[in-house]
Amino acid sequence: MNMPLTSAPEGDRRIDPFMISVLKSRFEAIVREMTLVVMRASRSAVIKNARDFSCAILTYDHELVTVEDALPIHVMSMDMATRPLTELFDDISEGDIFVNNCPYTGGTHHADLIMAMPVFVEGVPLFWVVALSHHADTGAPAPSTYLPFAKNIFEEGMHFPCVRIAENYEEKADILRIGSMRNRVPDLWLGDVRAQIGACRTGERRIRELCGRYGRETVLDFIKDWFDYGARAAKAAIQKLPAGDYTYSLAHDPVPGVADDGIPINVTVRVDPEEGEIVVDVRDNIDCVPGGLNLSENTCTGSCRIGVFNNLDESVPHNEGAKSRVRVEMREGSAIGKPKYPVGTSVATTNVNDRLMIAGNAVFSEMGAPYGHAESAFHLPAGVGVISGDDPFKQGKSYINQVFVGYGGGGANSGHDGWLTYCGPANAGLIQLDSVEVDESMYPILIERRGVKTDSQGFGEYEGAPGMDGVFYPLDHTMTVAYAADGKVNPPKGVLGGQPGGASDTVRIEPDGARVTLAEFSEENFAAGQKCEFTSCGGGGYGAPEARDPARVAASVNRGWLSLSLAREVYKVALREAGEPGLYEVDADGTAALRA
Amino acid sequence: MSYQVCIDIGGTFTDCLVSDPDGGISIFKSPTTPGEFEKGFINVLHVAAEGLGRSPGQFFSEIEMIVHGSTVSTNALVERKTVKVGLLLNEGHRDILVLREGPRKGAFQWKIDYPEPYVPIHLTHTVPGRIDARGRELTPLDETAVRAAAAKLAESKVEAVAVGLLWSVVNPVHELRVREILAEEMPGVPVTLSHEINPMPREYKRVIAAAIDASISPIVRRYIEDLKTALDAQGYGGELLLANCVGGMMPLPEMLRKPIYSVMSGPTLAPMAALALSDAPDIIVGDMGGTTFDVSALRDHQIIVTPDSMIHDDNLGIPKVDVRSVGAGGGSIASVDAGGLLHVGPHSAGARPGPACYGHGGTEPTVTDANVILGIVDPDYFLGGKMQLDRAAAERAVGKIATALGVSLQEAAYSIYTTSNHNMVAAIEEITVREGINPRDSYFVCGGGATAIHIAEMVDILGLTRYMIPRFMAGLSAFGGLISDIRREEAAVALTSDAAFDFDAVNTTLDALKAQGSAFLEDAGVPEEARGFEIAFMGRYEYQSFEIEVPLTIDGPLTPEHLPEMVEAFHRMHERIYSIRTDGDTVEFTSWKLRAIGHRPGQDMWSRFSLPAQQGETRAKGHRGVYSEQTRQIEQLPVYDLSDLGAGAALPGPCLVEAPTFTAYLKAGHDGVLDAQGNLCVTVDATRAGAIAVTTAQIPA
Repeated sequence: MNMPLTSAPEGDRRIDPFMISVLKSRFEAIVREMTLVVMRASRSAVIKNARDFSCAILTYDHELVTVEDALPIHVMSMDMATRPLTELFDDISEGDIFVNNCPYTGGTHHADLIMAMPVFVEGVPLFWVVALSHHADTGAPAPSTYLPFAKNIFEEGMHFPCVRIAENYEEKADILRIGSMRNRVPDLWLGDVRAQIGACRTGERRIRELCGRYGRETVLDFIKDWFDYGARAAKAAIQKLPAGDYTYSLAHDPVPGVADDGIPINVTVRVDPEEGEIVVDVRDNIDCVPGGLNLSENTCTGSCRIGVFNNLDESVPHNEGAKSRVRVEMREGSAIGKPKYPVGTSVATTNVNDRLMIAGNAVFSEMGAPYGHAESAFHLPAGVGVISGDDPFKQGKSYINQVFVGYGGGGANSGHDGWLTYCGPANAGLIQLDSVEVDESMYPILIERRGVKTDSQGFGEYEGAPGMDGVFYPLDHTMTVAYAADGKVNPPKGVLGGQPGGASDTVRIEPDGARVTLAEFSEENFAAGQKCEFTSCGGGGYGAPEARDPARVAASVNRGWLSLSLAREVYKVALREAGEPGLYEVDADGTAALRA
Repeated sequence: MSYQVCIDIGGTFTDCLVSDPDGGISIFKSPTTPGEFEKGFINVLHVAAEGLGRSPGQFFSEIEMIVHGSTVSTNALVERKTVKVGLLLNEGHRDILVLREGPRKGAFQWKIDYPEPYVPIHLTHTVPGRIDARGRELTPLDETAVRAAAAKLAESKVEAVAVGLLWSVVNPVHELRVREILAEEMPGVPVTLSHEINPMPREYKRVIAAAIDASISPIVRRYIEDLKTALDAQGYGGELLLANCVGGMMPLPEMLRKPIYSVMSGPTLAPMAALALSDAPDIIVGDMGGTTFDVSALRDHQIIVTPDSMIHDDNLGIPKVDVRSVGAGGGSIASVDAGGLLHVGPHSAGARPGPACYGHGGTEPTVTDANVILGIVDPDYFLGGKMQLDRAAAERAVGKIATALGVSLQEAAYSIYTTSNHNMVAAIEEITVREGINPRDSYFVCGGGATAIHIAEMVDILGLTRYMIPRFMAGLSAFGGLISDIRREEAAVALTSDAAFDFDAVNTTLDALKAQGSAFLEDAGVPEEARGFEIAFMGRYEYQSFEIEVPLTIDGPLTPEHLPEMVEAFHRMHERIYSIRTDGDTVEFTSWKLRAIGHRPGQDMWSRFSLPAQQGETRAKGHRGVYSEQTRQIEQLPVYDLSDLGAGAALPGPCLVEAPTFTAYLKAGHDGVLDAQGNLCVTVDATRAGAIAVTTAQIPA
């Protein structure tokens, strides 16, 4: 049993200890139910399969109460999306619902529609229930929600900068009409919006019932005790870290015309164990770039926090109390900071944002082992592209959706290899690959192959996960694939002697078998007979390869992830056949000789 | 006499329920014998013979039927003691079982390794050959490659082979040919084809089902043979049926053809029991044991089948009666974390050492220890007095929590009790909300030894008004076995949509399913008049990637007039489960299901039993002090002995009710009445109950 080193002095407690457990689980149940409504009722694959949505409960003054099953990146800064509501409106009433997808009013990027509903109890506003969903289309000029070349918001999709879409529990049809008119898949969009409305209304009703049952004062006392608990737990976790300033740098690949030399990212964390506080400082970064790769204030804040929480014990609750132990310092007008209106931010949740989260995970490795994570893969190789076209098996009906055929691997940490089905740091494996058969029955495509790419992991004492590669192609029509496959020039680095993971790549295979390497960030057409080959990045390694347990090396070979020759050359491990085809075991003497 | 018997093998005890033609049911228990389950099986029958005053020989000759929920395949999977399996897949898709389906658990849980595939890669071989979604052969099967793979698998000495080729559900020609070749190259090695074991258009689930089936096939076969030998040795000449995981029984030959259907079959019998015990449309069934709380639900008085059961890191693949387990049992351990928050479970003290009060060396505070301190469990009357509990040990263990939280011993015990109840409530909400059931309007049927200790508070939290503590609560699954049908589920793929519905293809598919179902019931010896069929389809809106099951009430071939009705049924089910419907959107139909049901003679024998009416007043056998969280005092509650009571006996809460296999704690406002079958039926008067009940689990209107 853990002894409560930092438990609250009895006098500071407002409610019975068991009531904290009870109300914590009640609030979690409410968020879980909201999550289920979004998950089950939504239509786009990006929401249902990739779980690119989150629900949360905040106090009315924008303090984070609870997140359950959410994408961490969304909720660590959800307060920024609701805060402008109480500044911009002076008539917020029961039954109102607001949407916000504008990075200049606290949104993440144009495709994340953040919906918030106030919760009134006995006429007093006490909470916000929030449901964020990534929509399949936002009516941008190009058929994708990721537009690296969109210089400013006029080249992006529809913005809703804190707009009331329901009043007195009634949808405002005129506002919804604006959204669905400017959308390539209006039914999908409206269906997904209604799923969010359903979630908000569920959350609102449940919180009111909760306050009815336990009493408003008890619930409000719980919130204070709950935040105190979060702050204590985070403080205790931070106190275990070595004091100091740690800096880590990496760079997003060059994007022609937007950032010809790439986008360098510098992160400094200042750890103060005595105070139990961490400051994440990203002020030392370049100005905004003329494209969609700039971060929003929301994503920059969330990503800076996420790196810290990825490096603290998982049992630390992710509420306002814990958040209060992590401060973020950023600069206005920086690509990694607060963007300057009206610069483009359409790719603010992936790409540069991925790199920032990865830097936040990795900067802790500057403390030495066992701290920190190696770098991981990024979000948008062509295997996770947005595909579109006219379906020849459905009388030419248009389709557009993001597919999840194959994506990149996670970075290693001390004690563990990277997670294979990782995708990118925002959803970090909380995601599901598409079924080949489901994709092939839904879209007029064929997935010729997809799987683990041997030897693409970053080697190390603990290996990054390998990347995936594969080939898919359109059947009897022309298919467009939009992607932004960062990691070709600067693949994920290893830390503390670990090696980098494999690089990303995109190739068009012509009918005669000729291979044409495609641009790293692009929107490409594939005619019938042409095939799209994608390669995603492998994760970086942690620690020197020669220190890897030979049994783990043998396991990687037996899993088909590592070739025999690299086991010998990189890991200095000798393997021998183990009595059946394809199975190897460690040759202890041979390994000792190689490692001597 | 001609008895019917159900034997349910659990982790600790093997339960045996015996029903006689008068409707009398007796319950017997004997320790489970891991490794040789058939021993415990025979042992408990000897215990039953003795209990019924029969010699074993006499008893075995008087049993006409034994139904059996075995745990042998579940155990093999849980303990990873399955046989070595080879796997054949398409070229380019070797990693189906590596990539699996489903996300990483726990956003901030980084201290884990990626799980190994169910079949190791060196035993996974790929062969050229490809069918597309429309059933067209794009690349012919490379038979030479199949033979080469077979040679390697033979060299690896695999005991079974699974085959999972893309789109075999639409065109099985390649899978069928592979089996022929394997029969030539590896004679005698059992082969499971994915399109036969789990016909659904989603390759991971089909392949994992085939792999699991192959990996337990020899184990199930061996067990069934051992069991038959053991029963033969006792001179048993009656029938033997095995429980499957779709809520029914199967004859042995059928189970040998599809052994995966025996996995996790025992717990699926609990909802079958509830189906018979109550007419309520929506029922929640909760079964709390030593390490887990198993919860299931009935919607519109029908069992719910899920495609998402997990075993370790893998999906089971096949559909199964939805029973979910959470780590909340009597042995769940309480702890206080660094921030001062109390947690209960999922870690458990298990059967050994068990809770501290068992006196087997356990020192960690558990839920059972808390229940002893609260006074709900009598240390001198545990399991009817067969086991003495150590109250002082419980106090020492729970005392650690009291110190950590800075509260009294009783308050700490109550904190453990209520936290555990909330964990179980969360599990109940999970299943009910997911399945579109409002828990407040549901009936709750208790199962397992420990549920009745916790039910009253859980019911108050959920806002239920009625629940039942069945007479055979401690053996609810075995009771379910005793009364359940013969049942099999078949599915087939026929992809179509309401935009251009392919009536010919679907009718052909349904006819084939019906022919298979009839043949199954024929083989099982079910007469024509005792047969029933249930038909359903799996449907989705266009571009949705998950299907829902929709029952089909149409008899005979489908015609264009039926289509609007089917589409409407889909919209309604979608709205019921997900709270929205989208009229006018294209509805896609992916696969078709048929449940063949055979009613068994004697399965309703239990309903003939009636408990003699209560004579005179109900009298308590004594009083016991129970901690009340409201007054923060020990209050003296009456204790009733179930065996003293007759039908109609009223038991107003607060009170305790004791039986040899369980203790029930009825809180204030919970009023119990014994029904004619001896089940304790409780209604809750919310105005008198401790808390005004509110649930957080309801589908939005």
